[in-house]
Amino acid sequence: MAELDCDVVVLGSGPGGYSAAFRAADLGLKTVLVERYPVLGGVCLNVGCIPSKALLHTAAVMDAARGLADHGIAFGEPKVELAKLRAFKEKVVGKLTGGLAAMAKMRKVTVVQGVGAFTGPNQLTVEGKEKTAVRFAKAIIAAGSQAAKLPFLPEDPRIFDSTGALELKAVPKKMLVIGGGIIGLEMGTVYSTLGTRLDVVEMMDGLMLGADRDLVAVWQKFNAGRFDRVMLKSKTTKAEATKEGIRVSIEGQEPKVYDAILVSVGRTPNGKKIGAEKAGVTVDERGFIPVDSQRRTNVPHIYAIGDIAGNPMLAHKAVHEGHVAAEAAAGQKSHFDARVVPSVAYTDPEIAWVGVTEDEARKSGLKVGVAKFPWAASGRAIANARDEGFTKLILDAATHRLVGGGIVGTGAGDLISELALAVEMGADATDIGKTIHPHPTLGESVGMAAELFEGVCTDMPPQKKK
Amino acid sequence: MREVAVPDIGDFKEVEVIEVLVKPGDAIAAEQSLITVESDKATMEIPAPGAGVVKELRIKVGDKVSQGTPILVLEESGAAPAPAPPVAVPAQKAVAPAPVPAATTSEPMTVKVPDIGDFKDIEVIEVLVKPGDSVAKEQSLITLESDKATMEIPSPAAGVVQEIRLKTGDKVSEGAVILVMKAGAAAPAAAAAPAVVAAPVVAAAVRAPVPVEPQEATHAKPHASPSVRKFARELGVDLVRVKGSGPKGRILHADVQAFVKGALAAVPAAAPAAKGGALPFNLPAWPDVDFAKFGPVEAKPLSRLQKLSGPNLHRNWVSIPHVTQFDEADITDLEAFRKSNTAETEKQGFKLTMLAFMIKACVTALRQHPNFNSSLDRTGENLVLKKYYNIGVAVDTPDGLVVPVVRDADRKGVFDVAKELSEISKLARDKKLKPGDMQGGTFSISSLGGIGGTAFTPIINAPEVAILGVSKSALRPVWNGKEFAPRLMLPLSLSYDHRVLDGAAAARFTAYLASVLGDIRRTLL
Repeated sequence: MAELDCDVVVLGSGPGGYSAAFRAADLGLKTVLVERYPVLGGVCLNVGCIPSKALLHTAAVMDAARGLADHGIAFGEPKVELAKLRAFKEKVVGKLTGGLAAMAKMRKVTVVQGVGAFTGPNQLTVEGKEKTAVRFAKAIIAAGSQAAKLPFLPEDPRIFDSTGALELKAVPKKMLVIGGGIIGLEMGTVYSTLGTRLDVVEMMDGLMLGADRDLVAVWQKFNAGRFDRVMLKSKTTKAEATKEGIRVSIEGQEPKVYDAILVSVGRTPNGKKIGAEKAGVTVDERGFIPVDSQRRTNVPHIYAIGDIAGNPMLAHKAVHEGHVAAEAAAGQKSHFDARVVPSVAYTDPEIAWVGVTEDEARKSGLKVGVAKFPWAASGRAIANARDEGFTKLILDAATHRLVGGGIVGTGAGDLISELALAVEMGADATDIGKTIHPHPTLGESVGMAAELFEGVCTDMPPQKKK
Repeated sequence: MREVAVPDIGDFKEVEVIEVLVKPGDAIAAEQSLITVESDKATMEIPAPGAGVVKELRIKVGDKVSQGTPILVLEESGAAPAPAPPVAVPAQKAVAPAPVPAATTSEPMTVKVPDIGDFKDIEVIEVLVKPGDSVAKEQSLITLESDKATMEIPSPAAGVVQEIRLKTGDKVSEGAVILVMKAGAAAPAAAAAPAVVAAPVVAAAVRAPVPVEPQEATHAKPHASPSVRKFARELGVDLVRVKGSGPKGRILHADVQAFVKGALAAVPAAAPAAKGGALPFNLPAWPDVDFAKFGPVEAKPLSRLQKLSGPNLHRNWVSIPHVTQFDEADITDLEAFRKSNTAETEKQGFKLTMLAFMIKACVTALRQHPNFNSSLDRTGENLVLKKYYNIGVAVDTPDGLVVPVVRDADRKGVFDVAKELSEISKLARDKKLKPGDMQGGTFSISSLGGIGGTAFTPIINAPEVAILGVSKSALRPVWNGKEFAPRLMLPLSLSYDHRVLDGAAAARFTAYLASVLGDIRRTLL
């Protein structure tokens, strides 16, 4: 058995893990990065954020090209070559993961491939081509999460989760998406543009829960054509694999046959799979590892970051936590004290939100004011023939400081950063409104919404005096 | 110009003005407190009905006022948020019948539980209003508690509660009827008549204990950018305690630096500076007991003096490491000497008390032990030794404890001290001590000798470093080497600041003091 000694071992090389490892190495710590797959990058780079965006971009361009018919530019029906599309997606992923491997080498981070599990408070064993024992002074657990499974679903190639969906083996005629969250709807969008008819079934009372309903309503209206049925507050009870398809029973409805099922019912943290108990690290019932503001577990020299350390399970949260944990491990007084973590659904239109939502403000009794700038009043959105969206700012009623906001529209995910920055900086409506936004852009809508709040917007009909 | 009078203050009449908070020429804001009145039940501040400049005061401290008593004349500022009363008031009077009844005769309105998210059947844990209450818009009506959170349901409008339709313990969901109220009055009429505006404010202040929204704090985080937060983390600075000097009170890099510099300069002694609060204790909440549940009770407010001295005593008690040294002095001879001289002082009209001798004896002991006549300086790193001997004397008055000071006791004879003591005690009991009479002490004596007790642990009168407690003297058998002889023994209890003085020094001090009291001639040495 090979043996390695290091200052810090990072378990998992997703965005949180590699960021932690690279930061630790940059701080002069001897760092070992353990990854079970032969490529770095974890779910996000290999089977998550990045490949799904490659496909979503393709789908959006296809939809946009179709839309040009209204402008007098007709392309005719697209020819879809799945193999080539898959190759494009692989190329995108390969470029990024290859870059990571090169950067790990430049930083002299030792990458050990295999499944790592703790064997003691200062040691873990990696089962790969050969067995490696890694002795460490500090450890950062970044072992992520995996797609949750529904126990009653049979094993069948026509039933897959997001990872399976990204493999893009075929374009089914009729697909059921179980779980109306962001991941299911993003993948549903890709398949629907390629020609699949969609049904969605969701147990809760709405799609994309967590976002304010007014944002989702815009998306839902725009995408109504992709869906045959949207079944809310509905529970899938049974699925049988038959020759003609998967026969699915949904409570209170006739069973229906689908060519494919996309299961997107959330993600489960991997806390129970890493031998945490051998190191004395507490893991809760659901598999999360409780941490403090430095991302320290109950064992002071072991940290946990990313999906495994709690919601929201988002790559950008994990990256920040990775930096905090690496710096804390290096003895710095870093803490995770970001006020907000933005969320984005990369559907078409995109939905992005950050900080306090209107729903939350209502529930907590927070006194807020809301300013909504409709993109129907944005020159750029009209010119883009995509003026269905809006930009909404949520501000503290007393101080007018931004506490949250939401945007629905093309590129909303790119626009939300300004809101996040404004919250972190404690900017108020006047700060945002008095910042000159370039014209004509979609980003302008943020400034306009702020002006609207202060009653000084001239791109909207005159407001009633407050 | 407008005369501001005392608004409706409930059933109180002839309440005393104990403080006037503004003076002619002051620019004041609406709701700013003008005067403080104190009844036998409560102290309340009367707020200004509008903004403006005080032209003339019509009352002074000590006056008795009732509703309608003029307080002052106010020249109102146009910029004030109050909608221009000089115009509005007559106008409204002229058309009075229209708006006012419209408001008061409005339909009863049913207030229901609003959209409270996904919660259903959650329990009412508190009903915060009762029939007859006037409530303001957004005032909390009831408190609900789910397994996840506690929330207060605010009133959708201002009005008067007519009927409550639920009770504590009920389970409610969205749409459940909370109460019926008559909407109107208060809000829109605003600054029309001062009485109308001020009344609910005072009422609210007195009624008080409606809990204020706990969620408020969730986003009321310090106004500081991520880089400043990082910097503060590195220095271990709690940004909640830093005052921002940037635009809109933003905490800047420089503010964090200044805070750290200040903290370093102030180290231990100055910690309690801010209002006696800001001490680093994280204690559990005070037990909240409804005493009335266990039997009849009566509420009696602390006297003003108690309210003033309480926080100081508390600060001294928690922030000074106290140790108390006990000793006793044989004052048999001293007492005989005192008695032999009382006739003479009585002729002069004052009593020759043991306390006068105590003061002289203490001065002698302090001269020998100068560290007891000192204070810690602001840094907590140096002693300030005082070359004068001002002895504070705790005097019990019906209203509470005061500590007048006998200045330059070293330069006064026992008779002078005794005379001065009788004067200041009288002043104290007549509440005529001036603040200056209680300042400048270097050491204090608290004598309970006239009452009883064998020993006690007095609290040091900061920034002094020691205090002598004196209990009741008693005849005791004392072994003189051959036999037990009856001796008059005086118990001494010396509390000292252990940061400044150690036990050996304290033991030497009390032993020396006892020897001086045992033979008062030592004061001459």
